[in-house]
Amino acid sequence: MTGNKTGWFVTAAITAALLGYTLVGDDEYTQHLLMWSALNAVLAVGLRFMLLVGETNIATGAFYGMGAYVAAVFTTKWNLPFPLALLAGGVLAVGVGALFGVITLRTKGPYFMLISFAFTEVVRLIYTRVEWLGGNSGIIGVFPPQGLDPYMPALTILLCGALILMMYLCEASNLGRVFQAIENNDAIVETVGIDVMHVKLLCLVIAAFALGVAGANHAFVYNVISPGDFSYLVPVFALAYVKIGGDNHVAGSILGAVLLTVLAQALQGAGALQHILFGGAIIASMLVLPDGIWGGVGRLLRKARGGAA
Amino acid sequence: MALSVGLFAQLLVNTLQIGAVYVLFALGLTLVFGVMKVINFAHGQFFTLAALVIAATMPEFTARFGMPAWLDYFVCFGLAFIIVGILGAVLYFVGFERYLRDLVGSFILSVGLLLFLEGIYLWLFGGAPRVVPKLLEGQVSLAGGAMESQRLVICAIALAATAALYQLVAKTRMGKALRAVAEDREAAMLQGIRYRRISFYGFMIGSGLAAISGGLIAPLTAITPALGNDYLAKAFIIIIIGGLGSIPGAILGGFLIAAVESFAGYFLDLSYATIAMFVLVMVFLLVRPQGILGVAER
Repeated sequence: MTGNKTGWFVTAAITAALLGYTLVGDDEYTQHLLMWSALNAVLAVGLRFMLLVGETNIATGAFYGMGAYVAAVFTTKWNLPFPLALLAGGVLAVGVGALFGVITLRTKGPYFMLISFAFTEVVRLIYTRVEWLGGNSGIIGVFPPQGLDPYMPALTILLCGALILMMYLCEASNLGRVFQAIENNDAIVETVGIDVMHVKLLCLVIAAFALGVAGANHAFVYNVISPGDFSYLVPVFALAYVKIGGDNHVAGSILGAVLLTVLAQALQGAGALQHILFGGAIIASMLVLPDGIWGGVGRLLRKARGGAA
Repeated sequence: MALSVGLFAQLLVNTLQIGAVYVLFALGLTLVFGVMKVINFAHGQFFTLAALVIAATMPEFTARFGMPAWLDYFVCFGLAFIIVGILGAVLYFVGFERYLRDLVGSFILSVGLLLFLEGIYLWLFGGAPRVVPKLLEGQVSLAGGAMESQRLVICAIALAATAALYQLVAKTRMGKALRAVAEDREAAMLQGIRYRRISFYGFMIGSGLAAISGGLIAPLTAITPALGNDYLAKAFIIIIIGGLGSIPGAILGGFLIAAVESFAGYFLDLSYATIAMFVLVMVFLLVRPQGILGVAER
């Protein structure tokens, strides 16, 4: 199991390095960039988690948004404590995710993808219609408790790291092997007595929990949320992070999320050019590096090693 | 608000005219899926481009040649059709050909194209909404409901295009090949059907249908580079209801969604109509996960 060990090491090392940086560095912009990258990394890993069983789940955007809305309601309307708000985000996402999964996991492949797409859009529409949730303008003033403010970057990265690690450990365990088997051929898995539907549901719910908590964290990082923040573009970008980074390892998703978050920030305010360059980057990486940056680097390394031997 | 006979007829007429364009748009998407097993998120960009080209060139043509509006419209329509065709061919050969039958890969590629093309349109045409002048003035009365005469013409063209596609797929040799490939690619290839060529034809027909629907919507709405996005989400719901890859399903689903939008939109609100559509999809799935006329994925 050396593969697992390197995975552990990489995840832990990146978390530690970033954590160290946020505690030392005092540049606010860099700290925000790190928090955004961390949240996007959870989105990417959450989406990839369901790709393990072979399904593209665009509803990840809806789960993430629900977490954010719950955190905002808990904080601004009910004055409930911060840790409870984070947890509630995960709990609601799990509840809704389970219900959504029971109905929609009867389908698979393109059907599931399109339904989860429609789900994200409909949930967003519901936010805009509910006056209590602030309608189109959303909810403002979602602040973490006073005194915790300077530690937010460290806390965010630690939390996101923990969520990613949780999903990674599931993937590395026996459950992950079942996921892999379902992706390869679900009929065979069914014949050995495993209920494929239940495993898929479990997979969806685990990812939903991580995304709900990360969404709640998102609300505290951005302080303002609105329905437009949780459109289908959120999971679509997450899928781009996964693919561009390389989808055969968690580290690829994290790498893709960080790179593209930084790119998007660098292009901020460029108007039409932002769309052109961001879209262009996705197209180029799909055409040039079909297995992503992580895969491409891995191939180069293997080639170099092979050449030496 | 009671549902009088006159109102009912009016809403039915609305359904027909919205539905005709939805059907054309969704047909292209479902055809491409059937043949290539690709869900093209950039499908709306063909639609948008056609509308944008017509909106941008029509004032020029009117100023230079002084032709009547309807003739101008058809000339510009032809131009838009050709431009979209060229774009479609480029996208196929540069990108989609490498991602045939790869759902996730082609999805990301098409999302990249969606963003890229939207940016290009924004840069070329600007973000301000454009309006195409009316083709014909006046109204006609249809079974107790009123309809603008230009809408009648547009609706007729859309229905004719749908019928033509139906004939093409049902009767011609190429249509048979398209259906064969959609049903079982390997068996079709064993019969000597060239899969790559047929999937190229399928993609081009799909782009062409998007161009026609975009051209037809141009006189009826304000045109922005983001026009296609609203239609895309609806088209997804339509093809889920109709069954992915099913042509009769897309036609039925298109009119069904148009009816929900037209009736629920009158009594409630357009965004509630969208939510109603989604609930409809969910109920549908509980009963028939493979859509109205779809065949279960194996």
